[in-house]
Amino acid sequence: MANRAASDRPPIVALIGNPNTGKSSLFNALCGGQARVGNYPGVTVEHKTGRMLVANSAFKSIELVDLPGTYSLSARSADEAVSVEVLCGEMPSVARPDAVIVILDATNLERNLYLLSQVLELQIPTLVALNMWDRLEKEGMRLDAEKLSDSLGVRVVCTSASKRIGIAELQSALLELLDRGPGADSQGILERSALASATFPEAFRNSVDELEAWFVSQGCPLQRFQIERLLIDDSQAHSHRVIPKRIASAVADRIGQTREHLASNGVSIPLFETRARYGWIKQRVAGVVERQAREQRVSTSDRIDRWLTHRWFGLLFFIGLMFFIFQSITGIASWPMDGIGFASQWLGQQVESMMGPGPLRSLLVDGIIAGVGAVLVFLPQIAILFFFIAVLEDCGYMSRAAFMMDKFMSALGMSGKSFLPLMSSFACAIPGIMATRTIENRRDRMVTLLIAPLMSCSARWPVYVLMVSAFVPKQAVLGGWVSVQGAVLFAMMCLGALVAIPVAWLLKRFVFPGEPSTFIMELSSYKWPSFRVVAMRVWERVLSFIARAGTLIFVTSVLVWAAAYFPGDHSLLDQTTAKLETEQASPNADPAKIQAWTSQVNQLKSDLIAKSFLGVAGQWIEPIVRPLGWDGKIGVAVLASFPAREVIVATLGTIYSLGGAQDETSDGLAENLRSATWPDGRPVYTLATACSIMVFFALCAQCVSTLVTIRRETNSWRWPIFSFVYMTTLAYLGAWIVYNLMSAWLVP
Amino acid sequence: MALPHPPQAVPVEYLAPQAEGVVVDLCGEEKNLHRLEELGIRCGCKIRMLSPGETCLLAIEGKKMCLRLGSTAEIFVQPLTP
Ligand SMILES: Nc1nc2c(ncn2[C@@H]2O[C@H](COP(=O)(O)OP(=O)(O)OP(=O)(O)O)[C@@H](O)[C@H]2O)c(=O)[nH]1
Ligand SMILES: [Mg+2]
Repeated sequence: MANRAASDRPPIVALIGNPNTGKSSLFNALCGGQARVGNYPGVTVEHKTGRMLVANSAFKSIELVDLPGTYSLSARSADEAVSVEVLCGEMPSVARPDAVIVILDATNLERNLYLLSQVLELQIPTLVALNMWDRLEKEGMRLDAEKLSDSLGVRVVCTSASKRIGIAELQSALLELLDRGPGADSQGILERSALASATFPEAFRNSVDELEAWFVSQGCPLQRFQIERLLIDDSQAHSHRVIPKRIASAVADRIGQTREHLASNGVSIPLFETRARYGWIKQRVAGVVERQAREQRVSTSDRIDRWLTHRWFGLLFFIGLMFFIFQSITGIASWPMDGIGFASQWLGQQVESMMGPGPLRSLLVDGIIAGVGAVLVFLPQIAILFFFIAVLEDCGYMSRAAFMMDKFMSALGMSGKSFLPLMSSFACAIPGIMATRTIENRRDRMVTLLIAPLMSCSARWPVYVLMVSAFVPKQAVLGGWVSVQGAVLFAMMCLGALVAIPVAWLLKRFVFPGEPSTFIMELSSYKWPSFRVVAMRVWERVLSFIARAGTLIFVTSVLVWAAAYFPGDHSLLDQTTAKLETEQASPNADPAKIQAWTSQVNQLKSDLIAKSFLGVAGQWIEPIVRPLGWDGKIGVAVLASFPAREVIVATLGTIYSLGGAQDETSDGLAENLRSATWPDGRPVYTLATACSIMVFFALCAQCVSTLVTIRRETNSWRWPIFSFVYMTTLAYLGAWIVYNLMSAWLVP
Repeated sequence: MALPHPPQAVPVEYLAPQAEGVVVDLCGEEKNLHRLEELGIRCGCKIRMLSPGETCLLAIEGKKMCLRLGSTAEIFVQPLTP
């Protein structure tokens, strides 16, 4: 029985339902939350709480918990386990819910009622939201919600979460349910005799009674529902994991005996459960749903699917789509990027004109503006990338792509289920790794999780774009339709995924061998992407990108600046710079003086940076990175970017702002990179060097947050260490091969 | 595995594109069957084949689902003649 001990704690209400039924949309509508919404099963993989403020009630607010979708309470995957843990009060961070809203897809009532039949047995006050109400008519169905409510014995509210219809009614129904408080007569908790479990065979129910008493005698009282799950689910299932170790073997014996006893009494575990529940469902929905007998016609969605899931055309479409997206990002984003670049240069010039040369000005201009600004330039690209991702996720295409990829993934011994987490790793590996929770097969999950960081996440974009825009010719080929820069960018995006194929094969073969896994996945319906969902996803990402630039990248920029500025004596440089600036500002400037001082400033700058901490560190690193075609500065910049890869852009920004050539027509970082030279005057950066850097970044595990997430999801340090070692090795080898091949073939 | 279903029942993979059938039997390991039934694939439900193959695309009571069971389970359907 749910009992709220102290009334000062707001009541907790959990939202549960089948995958992709609109739980997160409803959560957002109810509490103004920002849960991620997407049109494929398995978007939510972690519980998320939000506060709904209420007026005129005994309590001021309600705590809502959005849960991952599940088809039943016998959890098989890690995301389903989260839902069951929260509902059963086993999750340490969330108290047992005081009420549950079960979200049913109105267009698929029978299947959705299966979960409801189980939730009702938890004896928590329950409310039903009949969502997707707007789609009912389109599917040629009619549903009598009042009749359903009567036959179920719980309040039913019709909603359209994405259109925000029925939300107020749901809120007031919820308040009514909670206000009534827990009590035997309260609505939303059915009498035992009305539950689906009452239709289980008598022998089974008697055994559950006996086990209930036995668990009490063992000092470990369990809810009746938990005991039923122990009996029905196999020993790998979640329900067996909550048993305390001290009685685990006794429980296993006891369960084994009971199952034998039941089998001899003709109860076939586990199949009797589904049969009994569907029998119960059939009774409840009798006369509730009316399907218009439609002549069997091929719907638009079928017609689209015939092409998009076609063996060859579907694959071509997928590759073409990705290519189109990368091409358009490079095309569209160049204007706003130039704008941000100008703004940061202008800001630097303003600071320079307001202060005389000195450490503070250097910190502001070379450290912060050049460092953070270099990264912020990529904001438009990130926004456009996420716009495309959100559109793809919300239109229903993702599950089709997973279906197509299953044919390919099964050849590697995996399944299409792994595709969605990998696809989401193209945005960022962290949610991608979290999303592997939806994979039931543990070995598949591990392989997917270990290759997810190889997918080209959005933090690699700044590195690629910087190198591509500086060193790849700005040309269009194939009649002006395909830009060379966009094509190189696309190749870099694909590189990680291509390398992941043999890695996955090796892992599956030698580290996680086992039976090939099966694949079952529901396809979502096609729909037009919702503006709200797309806008929210882009906005959220833009904010987090700015936040990262303002914190992590800011701090590293300052640190790198300090390492590159100290311990040298800058007084001569500051004096010369001041003289140079005064001369430049005077109306009758002497060009000869300007030229002399400019070259003196450049000389001083490069001497100072060579003697700085960073310069000394560079000399140490240089022998290691020399085979990759890098100089010490690149080596230090790469080393500094191990916590987060986009830091390299900031670091290079700072290094070349401090030590780079002073040039009036300077076109930002890309120009600085092009003019960097070795002591003998050869340019540091060639196309081969740029590609070697990009390949290194494509394959390297330079993201502490990813490693921490791997640690959390696998519960061991072994796997993050493994990922780090294998990826860094691959990155070094890959960069070495690319540099040597390219310098042998391309450069005379 | 062969006997108890009616003579005309065929494994679901044998349905031609766009052909319909009613599930008459599920065979295989019980825990897999339990899962299939939880997902609504159970005796009596109507299946339409959308895209055949090792991984096939089905419409089950109007909802599209993709499926690759390998050797772990087999769904037998009674084809419906239009
Ligand atoms: N037509 C229609 N679409 C809806 C409705 N509610 C949600 N959707 C859409 O359904 C899709 C799934 O919504 P989510 O809120 O992410 O579903 P979920 O249940 O949280 O999904 P998981 O977290 O994956 O289990 C999104 O594309 C929504 O825009 C509704 O009432 N009507
Ligand atoms: Mg969700």
